[in-house]
Amino acid sequence: MKGSLANSVCFMNNVYIYSGNFADLLDLVFFLITTKRKPFDIVREQDVEIRLLEERIRPIYQEVNTKKKWDKIVGKENTFLCQMAFRSTYTHKELAIYYYLLNALKYWEHTKDMRRLKCVNKILELAHYVRHETHKMKGFLRFKEMKNQWLYAEMEPENDILELLVPHFKKRLKEEYWVIKDVKRGLFAFYDRENVRIFSDNEVKQLDILEDETEKQIEKLWQTFFRTIAISERKNLRCQQNFMPKKYWKYLIEMEDTNEENT
Amino acid sequence: MLYFYWVIQMTLQEKLKILADSAKYDASCSSSGSRRQNKKGLGNAAPYGICHSFSADGRCISLLKILMTNCCIYNCKYCVNRKENKVPRAIFTPEEICEITVNFYKRNYIEGLFLSSGVIKSPDYTMEKMIETVILLRQKYHFHGYIHAKVIPNASEYLIKKLGRLVDRLSANIELPTEPSLALLAPFKKSENVESIMTLIKKNKSASFAPAGQSTQMIIGASKENDLTILERSSYLYREHQLKRVFYSAYIPINQDKLLPSLKIPPLTRENRLYQADFLLRFYGFKPDNLLDSENPNFNVLLDPKTDWALRHLEEFPKEVNRASYFELLKIPGIGPKSAKKIIASRRFFKITLNDLKKMGISLKKAKYFILCDGKYFASMNILKRSFLESNLILESKEKNERESCQLSLFHE
Repeated sequence: MKGSLANSVCFMNNVYIYSGNFADLLDLVFFLITTKRKPFDIVREQDVEIRLLEERIRPIYQEVNTKKKWDKIVGKENTFLCQMAFRSTYTHKELAIYYYLLNALKYWEHTKDMRRLKCVNKILELAHYVRHETHKMKGFLRFKEMKNQWLYAEMEPENDILELLVPHFKKRLKEEYWVIKDVKRGLFAFYDRENVRIFSDNEVKQLDILEDETEKQIEKLWQTFFRTIAISERKNLRCQQNFMPKKYWKYLIEMEDTNEENT
Repeated sequence: MLYFYWVIQMTLQEKLKILADSAKYDASCSSSGSRRQNKKGLGNAAPYGICHSFSADGRCISLLKILMTNCCIYNCKYCVNRKENKVPRAIFTPEEICEITVNFYKRNYIEGLFLSSGVIKSPDYTMEKMIETVILLRQKYHFHGYIHAKVIPNASEYLIKKLGRLVDRLSANIELPTEPSLALLAPFKKSENVESIMTLIKKNKSASFAPAGQSTQMIIGASKENDLTILERSSYLYREHQLKRVFYSAYIPINQDKLLPSLKIPPLTRENRLYQADFLLRFYGFKPDNLLDSENPNFNVLLDPKTDWALRHLEEFPKEVNRASYFELLKIPGIGPKSAKKIIASRRFFKITLNDLKKMGISLKKAKYFILCDGKYFASMNILKRSFLESNLILESKEKNERESCQLSLFHE
């Protein structure tokens, strides 16, 4: 620690490391601000690429979960926006959050109106993107009914939105058993008609995913409906794709024919 | 009798194909405005509405839009299901509708059901059948998702009241913009009747009666009305009957009839302009006679209504973004409620420049010609002339159209 501090005064760029979860990032940002250290970048432990003139620092501070403290100092809305932005895949989101919170100490509830600041625009843009994708996925998620009556859905969203989707389906499919899988992140959300629990890939045994026999028939009904409801005189595939980008097609049952045509 | 035998022989697939096909011309598919909760069953309503898919014509699919039956005793000229058309006919049983709805809903294909119907036997009989279906869905299947039901014209009041208590939205289509056109093309429908249905719905609307309100639809281009007449009618409907939405549907020639125009392509641009103007009426503080007058009763095909209006009122521009009020900001082409709110929130803290607007993600394509940022115009003030701006804006909108020929999104409420 001492050595690295000495270096930071001279010429090395300080890159701070945190464990990868939001609570820890808040702790780190709190530590940085209270000790008046300016990070060159903030990265997750796992990202171990080391560049020239960079020093990796893992400061020692008490892990206190400062979320509540932050809520008090800068207002719940600001921490909420940061938490949303944190779910995005933007590479420098941590640094943007640091600068946003730094400014939030000064501007409090007006931070989001400080549109001249780069970090404010970035955080708002990221938060909007995350919420927007969550909203889209509430529509685009597709469940299949399994042999044991479970509903099973797979998705590949860009942002980490599984936790944001869960409350929506918990309310909606209250009396069902369901599983949602974020394929890329290897995360599962299980609902047993009472609680939702989220597991990662290695905690889950091979899932017994056998489709129910009637499943294919219902999918066929949906495809028929989907094809029939379009008015051929108004055909506008570009418009369709604008609203329903190709990256979501993989799990959309109604787009299966189109998927096959493309491959 | 033979006819009914044939109906029964159909599979669910075939029925769905026929009855979705006959329902597809209804423009409304919005699922917003209701807060129905899930009480120990399946589904709830999302007040902001959710689109579950988009069909090949770019329209949002939110509801299972079907007719209970496409058999009809009426013979409205423009309608695909009119009595004299030789199209395959089918009838869904209430159980069939419930099964499809619940199975689609569970898999998250849809937000709910949009139930309409051709008229069989009598309007009251048809309504009773529809009510039976909805009761089954709500009570036996415990479905609390969104239901939009169409009111059958000439149905009894008590039936409309009964249906309203079960569904989230009711609607009655005025079909055509004026009474004479309706009398000509749909002699069985009376515009007073449609309006009395609307009044009834308005009077009864509450958290437990059609909580998402009512909407209506009219066909554009099947009769001779100009855009001003249409817009005035919409404005009247919004004012008098507190409609949530008026939908416009470009006339698609399905039937041959000497009373109908013979169009090759549906008037989609006109429909788009009307939707744009409709939004200007509802959210931007415009009045129909601001946008159009008896000399120019129709919209410019090349420019959107607001830009067109601004070019005719250049004396009001450029507007200083740092001082203009909310409604003044809304009059600037390219600036909508979201951008206006962003500007107002930010300018309390600093003087906004053109660059700041860019950073906020506000599109300046059209707006730049009509604004001053902290006293500065984006180019020489000499260009602020109608002829110059018009040609520039038309060129830009053409380029844009070629890139993304896309209709206005219809699902915002």
